[in-house]
Amino acid sequence: MTEDLNWAIGGEAGDGIDSTGKIFAQALSRAGRHVFTSKDFASRIRGGYTAYKIRTSVDRVQSVVDRLDILVALTQRTIDENLDELHEGSAIIYDGERSWEAEIPEEATGVDVPLKSLAEEAGGAIMRNTVALGAACEITGFDVEYLDESLEKRFGGKGSKIVENNKEAARLGQEHVQENYDLDHLGYDLETTDEDYVLLNGNEAIGMGAIAAGCRFYAGYPITPATSIMEYLTGRIDDYGGHVVQAEDELSAVNMALGGARAGARSMTATSGPGIDLMTETFGLVATSETPLVIADVMRSGPSTGMPTKQEQGDLNMTLYGGHGEVPRFVVTPTSIAECFWKTIEAFNLAEKYQTPVFLVSDLALSVTEQTFRPETFDMDAVEIDRGKIVDEDEVEEWLDGQGRFRAHAATEDGVSPRALPGTTDAAHMSTGLEHDELGRRTEDTDTRVEQVDKRNRKVETAKEREDWDYREFGDPDADTLVITWGSNEGALVEALDYLEAEGVDVRVISVPYVFPRPDLSEEIDAAEDVIVVECNATGQFADLLEHDTLTRVKRINKYTGVRFKADELAAEIQAKLEAEVPA
Amino acid sequence: MSSEVRFTDFKSDKQPTWCPGCGDFGTMNGMMKALAETGNDPDNTFVVAGIGCSGKIGTYMHSYALHGVHGRALPVGTGVKMARPDLEVMVAGGDGDGYSIGAGHFVHAVRRNVDMTYVVMDNRIYGLTKGQASPTSREDFETSTTPEGPKQPPVNPHALALAAGATFIAQSFSSDALRHQEIIQQAIEHDGFGFVDVYSPCVTFNDVDTYDYFRDTLVDLQDEGHDPTDYDAAKEVILDSEKEYQGVIYKDENSVPYHELHGVTEDMSEIPEGAPEDATDLVREFY
Ligand SMILES: Cc1ncc(C[n+]2csc(CCOP(=O)(O)OP(=O)(O)O)c2C)c(N)n1
Ligand code: SF4
Repeated sequence: MTEDLNWAIGGEAGDGIDSTGKIFAQALSRAGRHVFTSKDFASRIRGGYTAYKIRTSVDRVQSVVDRLDILVALTQRTIDENLDELHEGSAIIYDGERSWEAEIPEEATGVDVPLKSLAEEAGGAIMRNTVALGAACEITGFDVEYLDESLEKRFGGKGSKIVENNKEAARLGQEHVQENYDLDHLGYDLETTDEDYVLLNGNEAIGMGAIAAGCRFYAGYPITPATSIMEYLTGRIDDYGGHVVQAEDELSAVNMALGGARAGARSMTATSGPGIDLMTETFGLVATSETPLVIADVMRSGPSTGMPTKQEQGDLNMTLYGGHGEVPRFVVTPTSIAECFWKTIEAFNLAEKYQTPVFLVSDLALSVTEQTFRPETFDMDAVEIDRGKIVDEDEVEEWLDGQGRFRAHAATEDGVSPRALPGTTDAAHMSTGLEHDELGRRTEDTDTRVEQVDKRNRKVETAKEREDWDYREFGDPDADTLVITWGSNEGALVEALDYLEAEGVDVRVISVPYVFPRPDLSEEIDAAEDVIVVECNATGQFADLLEHDTLTRVKRINKYTGVRFKADELAAEIQAKLEAEVPA
Repeated sequence: MSSEVRFTDFKSDKQPTWCPGCGDFGTMNGMMKALAETGNDPDNTFVVAGIGCSGKIGTYMHSYALHGVHGRALPVGTGVKMARPDLEVMVAGGDGDGYSIGAGHFVHAVRRNVDMTYVVMDNRIYGLTKGQASPTSREDFETSTTPEGPKQPPVNPHALALAAGATFIAQSFSSDALRHQEIIQQAIEHDGFGFVDVYSPCVTFNDVDTYDYFRDTLVDLQDEGHDPTDYDAAKEVILDSEKEYQGVIYKDENSVPYHELHGVTEDMSEIPEGAPEDATDLVREFY
């Protein structure tokens, strides 16, 4: 694992931690190395501890681990927060001229670089982080020219002078270490490859998926960690004939998106816990008016305002059951950043094919983590769009009743009705959240009520039959131990397999990207001796569902500290569960 | 097709269940006539309705329509107009729907200046829930939930609109059929958010703000020589709480509707069969 390098920069919010980290991550990715990033941030704009961590390897990496090799510390707290992860080979880059006196732990090596002075020499103190990046390149044997490329990308828009100054700042940092330190004993020498990866996070993948899927209208209200979906789309969707509206609140956002969808545009809104709560009343309207709508929930720690910048998978029940009455819907849960892209496209197709709300449930860990992929992972030629039963002028007649009225809610065999977009001649009709007949007219007639409820629910049954509600599988298919998970835990779990294998523990992993409908796992669960369900919440909401489906008790690993699972930690917990004599 | 359209084409075959004499009949007739008169037809018209007796209007009219949840009709209308700038969008609801539960949306829809017509059927009471105080109810108006009156001043919807930067503010009275229709027509023709509060009496639960009351007190701004393009004059009318009036109160002739300001002109319902042609650019950005 020597090829596996863990780098971090930490300081106060407002110190440019994020952009510095991103510049380094991009340089590594351009150098053909895999990258997995994670962020530690507090819910405040200035002050407070913030860190950006990068794990990089020539092999694929998809999780964080408890080890830090190179740390750029802009504050003492950065060192203190990471004490547990430092080791004999760690190097800490700090600025000895700063007002705080760095306390470097015994086992690590301090590398004093006058970040501020060197930055000033290059043209301005603001570039001190770039100096640190140059120093990091020297320590790790990483060619600064890769850094140049990402500096160009980051600052190119601000003029060549700024780019040149930054390149100079990096050189000065590099030279300072070269001239003052001999760190060969640390043994870092980062290999590069000819691969050119793309580097993106889950929210960017959702935004990109939305545009690829033909989403044209987005309405949202800012909330961590969903906002960056809106920010991504704001800069781009207009180029594809679309528009983003920042609504006054989530009630408005979901209703605007509903309006857009009703008018025929593929439409979407995204939010996080508190916003999902506010939108709930409208879920039922979306379902009864049979409007195709994608609602993304990027989960964070709840309940209430909870921990806005921390990880959790606590909204599962909310997206499954939220809303009064009984609301037919789909709940799709991407398990990786690449899946954020593909499942978004699928969500739009499901929404239009079945004319229902589709919840795209992601989480903070997926949303802020950046990861490298081969660009073909996002093959635009493979994007398929299915708009379902939209009828044109010629087909309208088939769906008229005896008096020439369009049966927008026709109780068809598969539950899916014809859909006429506004403007279609002779198909004008009303839809309502009130119970209605086939024409959309309010009714309290008992038979019609039952007919319409059944019709709407039948769409789910039809979809269960027609679509692949598949799961993803890793590890040893014949292992006695079955570990099941959903959402962002997949990466850590897959990496945990290596640790477990080294300990001689064989495990089969099933990762589920659909929560409703979901694959039937009865056979898989029956075949296993031990079944463990891993999720980031306290009560085991997904485990409850599986127990309900299969009438079998499962073991649970739950984490609700606000921090995502790490691969090594998960491996240890799985082993502990297997050893513990807990009654099943 | 528009030249052949008659206002009755906007009528659905569902018989209204409004109480006989309800002001909403007149409000709706005026809306349908105004739509036909401005060259619209049911296939290019989208009506969004709120919840309340007033909100039932979507059921009694014939067009593309959505009857939503209480107070949220304006955001729906905004979504419809953004996705389909080619459609004529009309939003209708009650005073409770618009100025109480939906007050936040009202202010922001006004501010956004989306090109749609917003008709508030103002009966100064909650009709559908059987007679509770509404935000436009008088301070001393006794209702089932305010036996001694709300003891708080009614909202002034026109003042709210003006403060939010409205580009078209009007008042009509459902029983003055011609004037009502004329005013709605002007709202439809306005490039931007056309806001019309309509006195639409509730004959069942409001025995104060009655037809007779409005007939006796109503002043027509047109007769007064009011110039709606004069902001200060509009402000004066709006802040005069002693007077009941009808007419176009304010109109900004330089109004540019939201979608035009944001360069939205295309029908968003048309999309390619796969990813857009240049979608690989989106991936390239992440190198
Ligand atoms: C969220 C929610 N709260 C309460 C109601 C009950 N409700 C239905 S209509 C209405 C008031 C309607 O008053 P107004 O908007 O003035 O319309 P009117 O019936 O007078 O035309 C209320 C409170 C509801 N449908 N939804
Ligand atoms: S209760 Fe009032 S508002 Fe409702 S229909 Fe009857 S008269 Fe009209």
